[in-house]
Amino acid sequence: MSETVKRSNPLIWLIDPLKSTASNADPAYRFTWSQAAWMLPLAIGIAGLVISAVGWATDSHQFYFSYLIGWTFCLSLTLGAYFFVVIQHLTKARWSVVIRRIPEALIWSFPLLAVLGLPIIFGMHDLYHWTHLELFDPASPEYDPILAGKEGYLNMPFFMARMAFYFIVWTFVSFRLYTLSIRQDVTPEAGITAKQRKISAIGLVLGGITTAFAAMDILMSLDPHWFSTIFGIYFFAGSFMAIMAVMVLVSMLLQRNGMLNGVIKVDHYQDLGKFLFGFTVFWAYIAFSQYMLIWYGNLPEETIFYRHRMEHGWETFSAVLLICHFIIPFVVLLGRWSKRLLPLLGFMCVWMLVMHWFDFFWIAAPVLHNEHAAMSMYDISAWLGLFGVFSAAFMYRMSRHALVPQHDPRLAKSLSFTNS
Amino acid sequence: MNTASKDKTLASLADFHDEAPLVTGNLKFHDITELVSSHTEKKTPLAWYGAFSLALVGLMLLLIMIAYLFWNGTGVWGLNNPVGWGYAIVNFVFWVGIGHAGTLISAILFLFRQQWRTAINRSAEAMTIFAVICALVFPTIHVGRVWAIYWTLPLPNQMGMWPQFKSPLLWDVFAVSTYFTVSLVFWYVGLVPDIATLRDRATTKLRRMVTGVLAMGWTGANRHWRNYEKAYLLLAALATPLVLSVHSVVSFDFAVSVVPGWHTTIFPPYFVAGAIFSGFAMVVTLLVIARKIYGVENIITVDHLEKMNIVILLTGTMVGFAYITEFFVAWYSGVQYEQYAFTNRMFGPYAWAYWTMMSCNLFFPQFFWFKKLRRNITFMFIISIFVNIGMWFERFVITVTSLHRDYLPSSWDYYTPTFVDVLTFVGTFGLFFTFFLLFLRFLPIVAVSEVKGVMPEADPHFYDHEGDGHDAAHAVNVNAGQKQ
Repeated sequence: MSETVKRSNPLIWLIDPLKSTASNADPAYRFTWSQAAWMLPLAIGIAGLVISAVGWATDSHQFYFSYLIGWTFCLSLTLGAYFFVVIQHLTKARWSVVIRRIPEALIWSFPLLAVLGLPIIFGMHDLYHWTHLELFDPASPEYDPILAGKEGYLNMPFFMARMAFYFIVWTFVSFRLYTLSIRQDVTPEAGITAKQRKISAIGLVLGGITTAFAAMDILMSLDPHWFSTIFGIYFFAGSFMAIMAVMVLVSMLLQRNGMLNGVIKVDHYQDLGKFLFGFTVFWAYIAFSQYMLIWYGNLPEETIFYRHRMEHGWETFSAVLLICHFIIPFVVLLGRWSKRLLPLLGFMCVWMLVMHWFDFFWIAAPVLHNEHAAMSMYDISAWLGLFGVFSAAFMYRMSRHALVPQHDPRLAKSLSFTNS
Repeated sequence: MNTASKDKTLASLADFHDEAPLVTGNLKFHDITELVSSHTEKKTPLAWYGAFSLALVGLMLLLIMIAYLFWNGTGVWGLNNPVGWGYAIVNFVFWVGIGHAGTLISAILFLFRQQWRTAINRSAEAMTIFAVICALVFPTIHVGRVWAIYWTLPLPNQMGMWPQFKSPLLWDVFAVSTYFTVSLVFWYVGLVPDIATLRDRATTKLRRMVTGVLAMGWTGANRHWRNYEKAYLLLAALATPLVLSVHSVVSFDFAVSVVPGWHTTIFPPYFVAGAIFSGFAMVVTLLVIARKIYGVENIITVDHLEKMNIVILLTGTMVGFAYITEFFVAWYSGVQYEQYAFTNRMFGPYAWAYWTMMSCNLFFPQFFWFKKLRRNITFMFIISIFVNIGMWFERFVITVTSLHRDYLPSSWDYYTPTFVDVLTFVGTFGLFFTFFLLFLRFLPIVAVSEVKGVMPEADPHFYDHEGDGHDAAHAVNVNAGQKQ
C-alpha cells in the first residue's frame, strides 16, 4: 500500500477498506452530493428490515424466503459488477472507463453481504428441505433415497464451507481490483493497469466456477430433487443484465445531482443500453434452452420444477416473467432511439431491475407456496430493506473517492468516445 | 496548459501505451493493396498446383466414397444396433462448429468494435462457408434414400406430406441453411470494395469483366460507403444471433432426447462455446501457414494470433468447465442412468476417447496462460491441431459413448468405424481445401479496405501538426466537446 492511500479502521473496513481519497479527486470527478445520498437509502433499508423483523416474529418461514430472495438479488448485482469489471480489464475496454468506478465500488459489497447473509443460517431449516436429517436416515419414515444419495454434497458443514470459500474468493479478488483502482487515483504508478488485468484473468476463472456453484447451492438446492446443468449460466445471464441497469441508474442519479456532467454522455448510455438489450436476450435464450429441453424430454424428475410454476396460480407469474422480462424489453430496447432517449432508458432499467428480482422470486417462492401462489408483503419489505442498506453502503463508498478512475490511461479515450 | 490541451496530451499518451499497432512493418495504404492483391494477379505458383492436386485427390476420394455409399446403402458404415448415429453426425457437428469462429470474428467482434478482426475476418469467413458446405454433406448422404432429400424442405406436394416440425433435425435444416445464406451474403458484401480494387488494377480483359461484374459498379463514392456500412452493420446484427442459434439447434439434436449423456440443459451454450473454440483453432491452423506463404506477416501479426489464442484459452476453459458441470450434476441428479453414462465415459470402453478429448480441450490450451507460449508460432500451431482433434473427439464421445450402452444391457455393443466412414471424413478435408485453395488463389485473403480503415492514417487528424493549419481549428472543437 502506498503512502497516500491508507487502510481504513476495522469498523469501516466492512464498508470501505480504504481511507477516503476524496481530497485527491479532480474537481470534475468529486462527489458533491449531500449525505442524503446514503442516509436516505439507509433509512429506507432500516425501515424495510424493521417491517421484515415483524415478519420474522410472526411468520418466520415466509420471512426467510423473502429475505433469501432479497439477499440473492443484492448478491447477483455484486457478482454482475464483478464480472463487468473483470471483463473490462481483460478486454482493455476504453469506452467504459468513465463508468467503471460504479461497478468497482459495488464489488466491495461482498463483506457486507456476508454479514447480511448470517440470518439465512438460522433459517436453513425453513429454507432448505435437505437440512432435515431424517431424510437421510433409512429407519425413518421420511427417508428419501434420492436425497440420501446427495448427502455428500447437501449437508450443513459442507454448505457452510462452500459459502465461506465463495465469499473469501470474491472478497479477495474484489479487494485487489478495488484497492488497485483507488490507489491509481492517488498515485498513478505505471504497472497498476497491468496488475488489474492479471488479477482479472484469475478472477474470471475463479468467479465463473464459484458463481455457477453458488447459484446451484443458494437457489437450485431449494428444490433438492431438481437439477439443471445450465442453472449457473441462467443466474449469470440475469446478473450481468441487471448490472447494466444499475450502472445506467447510478449514472443518471449522479448527473441529476450535478456530477459527471459531460463526462458520462449519451454515447455511454447507449452502449450500456446495448448490453442491457443483449443480455436480456441472452437471458431469454438460456431460459428458453432450459425450459424447452426439459419440456421436450418430459422426465418427471426435471419437469417438477416447471410443474410447480404452472399450477395453483403460479402460471400467471410465469406468464408475467416471460412477457415482462423478455418480450416487452425486447421490443422497446431493440431500436437505437430508445437507448438514446434517456428517460425511457432509465424507466426500462428500473423495469428490468424489478424483473430481475421477480425472476428470483419466481424461482424461490413457489418452493414455499407450492399449493397456492402468493406474494407476501415481507417479500417487498425484505427486498427494499436489504437493497436499501446495500445501496447506502455503496453510496457511502462512492462519496469517499473520485467518481471516475481518474488516472486510468484509457480515460481520455473514454471521455472522447462517440457511438457512431 | 488549458484543459483541452491536457486532455489531448492524455489522449496521445493513451495511444502510446495502449496497444501495439495493428499493422507493422511501416506499411502504407498502397503497400497493403499491393501485398494482398498481387497474389491474385501473379502467375499461379507451382506449389499451389501441388497443393490443389492433393486437395482434388481428397475430393475425388469423397466422391468415390459417396458413390460407394449410394450404391450399397448405409450398411457400409460401421453403425450397429444401439449406435445408430456414428461418424456422419460427428463429422457434421465438427464441421458446423468450425464455421462459428468466422461468424464470431466477422459479426460479434464487429459489434464489439474489435479492430484487430479486420486482418483475419475475410479468411475466417471463407472458412465458415466452406466448413458449412462440408457439414451439409453428411446429413444429406446419411438419409439413405438421398434422392428424397428435398423432403426435408416443407414443400407443398400432392401427397399432403410435411416434414416433422417438432423434430430438431428439421430445425437443423432451417438453422444451417439460414446460417449459410447469411454468411455468404455477409462475406460477399464485405468483398465488394476489394473486388472493385482488383477490377481497377486488372490488366486483362477477362479479368476486368469478371471482377467488374462481381464488384457491382462499386466506385468508392461517399454514398456507396454509407450504404455499405449500414448494410454491414445490419448483416452483423443478423449474424450475431445466428452464432448462438445454429449450434444451439445442433445441440438440440441430442439434448431433446432422453438418452443419458445427451439430455442435459447446458448443451446449447456449451455447444456454442465449443464451436467457437474449435473454429478459432482452425483459423490459427490455417492462418499460421497462409500468412507465411503469402508474406502478410505484417498484417496478420503475432499480436493477432495471440488474441486468437486467448479466445482459445477462454473458450477451452469454458468447455472444460461444462464437462465438469455435466459430470457433477450427473452425480447430483441421483439418476443412476445419468451417473452410469458419465462413469462409463471416463472408465468404460471409450475411456481412451474421453481422455483424448479432456487433454486436448481442457488441459493443453492451459499452456496459453503463458505469454511466451501463446506468441510462439510453432507451439500455437501444435496446440491448434490438438484442439481440432480434441473437438472432433468431443463429438465422438458425446455421440458414441452415450449410445453404445443404452438402457438395455443385452443390446450393448462397441462401435467401430469402417474404412468408408474414415475415408469419407478424410475426403471432406479434400472438399474443404479445394474451396480454400481456390479462395487463396483468386480472392484477396485480407479485407484490404477494412485493414486500411483501422490504420492510424485513416484518422482524419492523422496529418495534424504538419503545418497545414487544420489542427488549431481542431483544438477548439475538442474544447467545445469536452467541457460543457
